[in-house]
Amino acid sequence: MIEAPEPIAEAARDGRLKAGLKARYAREGRFRLYGILAVSVAIGFLLLLLGRIIEQGHTAFYANQVTLPVYMDPARIDRAYPQGTNFQQMVAQQQLARMGVADDPQGSQATAYRSLLSSELKFRAADLIRNDPSLIGQTVVITAPVSDEADLYYKGEITRETAADQRRVSDQQMAWLDTLKAEGAVSTTFNTLLFTNGDSTEPELAGVLGAVVGSALMLLVTAGLAIPLGVGAAVYLEEFSRKGRITDLIEVNINNLAAVPSIVYGLLGVALFINWAHLPRSSPLVGGLVLALMALPTIIIATRSALKAVPPSIREAALAMGASRTQTVFHHVLPLAMPGVMTGTIISMAHALGETAPLLLIGMVSFVPGIPGAITEPAGALPSLVYIWENASERAFHERTAAAILVLLTFMVVMNAAAILLRRRFERRW
Amino acid sequence: MKLPFFLSPDGREGGGPADPTETPRMGGQVLPGAGTPPASAEVRDEPGQAPEPGPTNKAAMAAGRVPQVTSPAGPAGPTKIAARDVSVFYGEKQALFDVSLDIPDKTVTAFIGPSGCGKSTFLRCMNRMNDTIQGAKVTGSILMDGEDINARSVDPVLLRAQVGMVFQKPNPFPKTIYENVAYGPRIHGLTTSKSEMDGVVESALKKAGLWEEVADRLHSAGTSLSGGQQQRLVIARAIAVNPQVILMDEPCSALDPIATARIEELIDELRERYCIVIVTHSMAQAARVSQRTAFFHLGRLVEHGNTEEIFTNPRERRTLDYITGRFG
Repeated sequence: MIEAPEPIAEAARDGRLKAGLKARYAREGRFRLYGILAVSVAIGFLLLLLGRIIEQGHTAFYANQVTLPVYMDPARIDRAYPQGTNFQQMVAQQQLARMGVADDPQGSQATAYRSLLSSELKFRAADLIRNDPSLIGQTVVITAPVSDEADLYYKGEITRETAADQRRVSDQQMAWLDTLKAEGAVSTTFNTLLFTNGDSTEPELAGVLGAVVGSALMLLVTAGLAIPLGVGAAVYLEEFSRKGRITDLIEVNINNLAAVPSIVYGLLGVALFINWAHLPRSSPLVGGLVLALMALPTIIIATRSALKAVPPSIREAALAMGASRTQTVFHHVLPLAMPGVMTGTIISMAHALGETAPLLLIGMVSFVPGIPGAITEPAGALPSLVYIWENASERAFHERTAAAILVLLTFMVVMNAAAILLRRRFERRW
Repeated sequence: MKLPFFLSPDGREGGGPADPTETPRMGGQVLPGAGTPPASAEVRDEPGQAPEPGPTNKAAMAAGRVPQVTSPAGPAGPTKIAARDVSVFYGEKQALFDVSLDIPDKTVTAFIGPSGCGKSTFLRCMNRMNDTIQGAKVTGSILMDGEDINARSVDPVLLRAQVGMVFQKPNPFPKTIYENVAYGPRIHGLTTSKSEMDGVVESALKKAGLWEEVADRLHSAGTSLSGGQQQRLVIARAIAVNPQVILMDEPCSALDPIATARIEELIDELRERYCIVIVTHSMAQAARVSQRTAFFHLGRLVEHGNTEEIFTNPRERRTLDYITGRFG
C-alpha cells in the first residue's frame, strides 16, 4: 500500500459534506417548486381557455322555440307547390291581426314581425301540407325556432339598453317577443338543430353535423393512407434498408418535412390533387390526402423510434429461431413497438383533425350547406367551420363558434380516448 | 488488455508449456493433475485424427457425471462442425483470427476466454447470426456434416432451424409459455395439427425440465417466469424444432447459483441428443458441464482439447494463467 496523508481533515470533510447536503436539498426544493409552478401555469391556461370557450359557447346549446297556431289559409297556399308559400309572412299577419295591430299597405309591420320567426317555420309548415294536403283550411299548431336575433333577446344578450346600431331588433319587436313569452308560447329547449343540421346562413339553423361528418370522412382518408404508408416506410427504413448515406439523407428529409408549415402542404395539395389530378375541390378526399402527407413524417418518426426501442434480444431470439426478417418484424418487433406506433399515430391524427391552414387552400372553408355523403362531395371540416363562423357578421354565430370549438375538442377527446383504450389493449396482450 | 509476454519473439502465439511449478487452482481446490508436467504438449491435437485412448481422470469433474469424451487426442462423437481458418471482421476491425476447430457431436464443447476474446463471435458464426450485423464479414469455412454453412445455397433460416441458440439474458418472447415453445415449429411448418403441436410443446418442455413447473399455466406470459425458468423456457423453445446443434452464449451468467445448477444439469442431459457448444465465463462451469474446451484469447484460438486436459494440463501458459485466474 502507498502511504499518503489525507488531503482533507476529518472535521473539515464533515462540515463540507453537511454544507453541500444543505445546498443539494435546497436545489431540489427549488426545482420542485419550479415544476409545480410550470404545471400550475399550464393548467391555469387550459382552464382559462376552456372556461372562456364554455362561457361563450354554452348558450348555443339551448335555443328558444315558439309554438303558434297557424291557420293554413287556402287563399295563400299553392297545393301543388306548398314550399313556395310565404308562411312566415302569413303567420306574422295572423299574429298582428290577433293583437289587433293595423298594418300599412306595404306590410312593413308584418315584415318586421316575420323577421322574428325562423325560416324553419316555413319548412315545417310546407312539410305538413305536403304530407297531408287536407290540412289546408285548418288551424295547425306549429313549433319552430325563433330567429337568431329573437333568440339572442330571449337569452338576454340583446336588451333595450343595447345601442341601436349594435342590434337588429327594434323596441317594437322586443315588445312583440315579450308578448309571446308572456302568453307562454315560447319554450327553451336543447338545441338539437346544432347537431343535426349542416351549415346554414341563418345562425338559428346552422349546425355542426356537416362539418363533423366532413372531418370524420377526411380523417378516415388520412388514417387509411398515412398509417399504413407511414408504418410501412418506418419499418422498411428501420428494419430492412441498408444503413448508409441514402437512408441518412432520407432521415434528414423526413425530419425536415415534419417541420414544414402546413400551408405549404395546402399549396402542394392544390397543385397536385386539384390542378393536376383533377380531384373534386372542397372534398374530404383532397383534404384527407393533404393531411395524410402532413401526418406521414410524424408517424414515420414515431414508428422508427418505437421500433428502435424494441430490445435487440427479441430480434435475436426470433432470428435465432430461424424466423425470417419479415417474420421477426411482423411477429415480434412490430407488435412490441405497437404502443409507441399508436402514440405517434394518435398525435398526428389529432393534429390532422385540428389543422386549418391547408384546408383554406383546397377550398374546404367555403360555405357548404348540408351533410356530405361521400368523400368526393364538397364538405366542410370542424376547424374551418370555426373559422367561417368566427368571421360571420351575425352576432348569433359567435356563441356557435365557441360551441363548434367545444364539439371539435370533444371529437378530439373521444378520438384520443378510443385510441388510448386500443393501445391499452395492445399493451395488455403482453 | 495488453499482454505482450504472451507473444513469443518469433511472433508465434503461445509461450510454450505451462510452468510446472505453478499450481493451478480453481475455487480454492487444487485441480488434480496440477503440477505434473504436460505429457503431450508437443503432440498437435487435431481432433478427428487418430483418436488414441488417453488417461481418464474424472475425479474433478462434476459429481456423478461421466463425460463421453475420453481421449485427450480426439472427441468421442464424430465431428459435427469443422471450422477452418475462420476470421470475422466487423467493419475494419478483425474480431477473430483464423480459427480452426472441430466440434464433436453429442458432446458439450465449452468456449472460454476473457471478455472480447472472440468466443461469442465464433459461436455466432455457427448459426450465421453475424449475418444480421451490418458490416460483419466471415471468411474461412465452417462445415456442418461436411456442408459449408456459409455457402450461397444454404439458407440461414434453414440453418437456424438446425442450430438453436440460447442467449446470455433469457429472452422469451412476450407471449404465453405455449406460444414461446410453439413458435419455432409454427414458423417452420413442422406440425400440421393442434394436437401435434401440443405434443411438441409438451415434449420440448419436458426435455427442458420445465414441464412440471408450468404444465398448469401454459397460457400465462413467458415473461412472468423466474430468470432460471425463463432460460429453460428459451432452451425448450430452441429444442422444440429438434435442432442438431445448440449454441449457448453464457446461458447462466444472469442466473443465481441454484438456477445455474439446474441449467447445468439440463445441459448434461441434453448432451446425449445434441451437439452443444457453450460459451462461459465461469471456469468452474466449463469444468463441470463440458467434455471439450477451447480457450480463446485476443481473437485467436489458443488451445483446445478435452476439458480435463485443458484444466489439469494445459500446454499453453496463457491457458494456465487464465484458468487459474491470473488474468481474465
